[in-house]
Amino acid sequence: MDDAAAIVLAGGRSSRMGSPKAALEWHGSTLLRRVTGIVARAVSPGPVVVVSAPGQSLPALAPGIEVVADEREGRGPLQGLAAGLAAIGDRAAVAYVSSTDVPLLHPAFVRRVLGALDDGVDVALPEVGGYRQPLSAAYRVDLVNAINTLIAADRMRPAFLFERTTVRHLGETDLLHDATLARLDPKLSSVSNLNEPADYERAHALPAPEITVERFGPLAMADPAKRRQTVGAWSLGEAADAAGLTLDEHVVAALNGDQITRDRHVPLVAGDTVAFMVADAGG
Amino acid sequence: MPPGGYFGKALLVDLNTGSAEAAPIDESVLRSYVGGAGLGTWLMHEHCPAGIDPLDPRAPLMFVFSPLVGTPLTTSAKFAVVAKSPLTGRLTDALASSHFAIAGKLTGHDAIVLTGACEEPSYVLIDRDEIRIEPAGDLCGLPAADAEARLREQHGPAWRVAAIGPAGEKAVRYATISHDGRHAGRGGLGAVMGSKLCKAILVRPRTKVASADPAGVLAAAKDLRTRSFGAATAKYRNLGTMANLLAFNAISTLPTRNFTAARFDEAPALGAEEIAELRQVARNSCASCSIGCEHIYRGPNGKKTRMEYENVFALGPLCGVSDADAVIAASARCDELGLDTISTGGTIAWAMECVEKGLIDAPWLRFGDAQALLRAIEEIAARQGLGDLLAEGSRAASQTVGNDSDKFAAHVKGLELPGYEPRTLQAMALGLAVNARGADHNRSGAYEADLSGAHDRLQGGEEHVVGAIETEDRAAVMDSLILCKFLRGVFAEPFPDWANLLQLVTGWEVDATELATTARRIVLAKRMFNLREGWTREEDWLPDRFLSESLKLESGRTAALTASRLETMIDSYYRNRGLEPTGVPTPDTLSELELEGLLETEQIGANVG
Repeated sequence: MDDAAAIVLAGGRSSRMGSPKAALEWHGSTLLRRVTGIVARAVSPGPVVVVSAPGQSLPALAPGIEVVADEREGRGPLQGLAAGLAAIGDRAAVAYVSSTDVPLLHPAFVRRVLGALDDGVDVALPEVGGYRQPLSAAYRVDLVNAINTLIAADRMRPAFLFERTTVRHLGETDLLHDATLARLDPKLSSVSNLNEPADYERAHALPAPEITVERFGPLAMADPAKRRQTVGAWSLGEAADAAGLTLDEHVVAALNGDQITRDRHVPLVAGDTVAFMVADAGG
Repeated sequence: MPPGGYFGKALLVDLNTGSAEAAPIDESVLRSYVGGAGLGTWLMHEHCPAGIDPLDPRAPLMFVFSPLVGTPLTTSAKFAVVAKSPLTGRLTDALASSHFAIAGKLTGHDAIVLTGACEEPSYVLIDRDEIRIEPAGDLCGLPAADAEARLREQHGPAWRVAAIGPAGEKAVRYATISHDGRHAGRGGLGAVMGSKLCKAILVRPRTKVASADPAGVLAAAKDLRTRSFGAATAKYRNLGTMANLLAFNAISTLPTRNFTAARFDEAPALGAEEIAELRQVARNSCASCSIGCEHIYRGPNGKKTRMEYENVFALGPLCGVSDADAVIAASARCDELGLDTISTGGTIAWAMECVEKGLIDAPWLRFGDAQALLRAIEEIAARQGLGDLLAEGSRAASQTVGNDSDKFAAHVKGLELPGYEPRTLQAMALGLAVNARGADHNRSGAYEADLSGAHDRLQGGEEHVVGAIETEDRAAVMDSLILCKFLRGVFAEPFPDWANLLQLVTGWEVDATELATTARRIVLAKRMFNLREGWTREEDWLPDRFLSESLKLESGRTAALTASRLETMIDSYYRNRGLEPTGVPTPDTLSELELEGLLETEQIGANVG
């Protein structure tokens, strides 16, 4: 999406979870690696900024993901939002803001919400399951001054921001009006966050998204029946494993005909197509 | 002279007088330019009159060998054909693999330079320092392969033959020179040979060439051969370059209908994965090669032909043709007639779009029409009807047709684009724009960087510039040693590995640093030749279509390459290459790379520095 960025707030205390959510294991990767990878896909080539708590140790991130530290810890989402928007600066006009604990987030959801930021709208705010979702919402980057004013006045709840801005509320029907989103995330699991260990265990036990795997060139010749197959995989590495392929120097993958990568941690979501091909493209 | 690898001389053949003389080449020149494309560039600076028409008899045509030819190193039986291109007006150097490379070098020369023209259509025999010119007679009009077969039957199998087909005789500006079924394909070298009324050149081995360390060379050859059987070359063994087609289609980099799209819905009908089982009949290797990338397909009437990605892309998706029989037939016919398949397909695709837009009155020539494709090929080779215009190439033809048809003529410097979509491969976009030969995937392999996953291929920037320079440098060395680029994946440390091979053969204490400098020297020596011939920065550019029309990927992303982004990458390329903003080498660069000597031979000092 042109002119869009993403912010992932990773500095929460994770007190109910008992350990930092950002570093929670997610099928060979981490929650933060997965969520940053998903929002990056939706806003590419725009920047992705992770906002951490002061001194917080973060798990490994993909190249190009930026990290900024909150000035003060424990001040809530507006503090992190302000830091993220400031880091984006003039590089994008709008930003999708996410928490780090939404492993079922789908890029189609991010695109749908960002797409709702029409002219004259400051915030696109989903409401799912009867709750407003300020950490699955889109904001204009130039709100940073208004947010800083609220912070200076110690008015730290997102609701105070919504009171003084133009908010477009997106109910479930509005969201699912998007045919792509309705097909790929019909239950709007994109906003399902994990607060307690039981939430994590339940989500972690879910079946992996269905991915289409294609093989080309010599990789297609061993077994023609497997040139195109469906596998369950949370990441590129799992897709390669399921296809019996090794992502070494001789093999690369293309995700949905776009990003070329060998990074096993690249997150996959329902509806993805991964094309495996030989790395040497000489002709 | 070094202990091995060279004879230290070039044979200068004057076709006007039927005489030849051996001219010494100083060891410092050999070390600075190595051989093949590099040495050919230096020889062009020396022997090509500035500003000459490429089809003027005085313009030289060079067959240039390399230090590794004649060794047991796999893929080393290659040579470069170098000339001023009648298609681009700039330097062109086409490489080919065959026994001609070995026999040509073992005439006892590092290069054979033809100037002048025969009095009548003829062929030329080169035996040590002696030449003989014979009338071509009824060889005229024959496909190169038929002429080659007849000449070897007549003169004996020890002779190796490089010949032109009917297109070269008719001076089609993208005609090829062929031998052993291989082709020096790009830039119209066949037309240069045709302008000399030279149907064929014959060479036979009459001497041997030494290696400085024969045991070391043998050991290296065994090691390289073993590595050449590994995973890095599996694609070439299993399916050949045709394996690119469906993969490129999947990532929106398969040029389609004159670059109006980057995906071809009917691509599976042409994909090797789909058709190899039914149509592939054999796999061959070039001389001295252990990879075996040649995949022979059976076409209509049982005719067999070697199929490559570039043939299929250019004569298939680029022209909107999905009939596999027709594409195989078109490819075979280009080989017989002596036509570069990329420029043939590119020029026909441009004409098809012109017809679609009402700019050319040839209603029979429509995208997707296989019979029209075959008819156009025949007309081009014969220079009949519309073919006479198309035989000039897409740039010249678009200048004749006008009406902004140049905006969608897909060439750089007059050379039609290969099958790598620049909007979705933006390091390649830069490589295509700045390369001395024009739009070419062999001198700039920047697609390697785009497809490595190291950067976002849709967002050209500084990383893309670095990738384009690195691949261009590597190509300069491989094209001068010469080694096949299909072997590149087996070299874990390319420059040290290549320096070691060169040292074993020549005895020079050359290291990776020196070879990296040599690469830069060769790249800029080519640029300086073009500068002498009137090059300006405006030529380092892409056609308007690529900068004004975007592509939509399956992922939803838009692939757009703006003029501003391309210009920024070119500026950075110039800086990193040690060039002025005008694209001319700075005095410091000339000094560092010891290129000042070229200025003395060319009176281009006023333009340089």
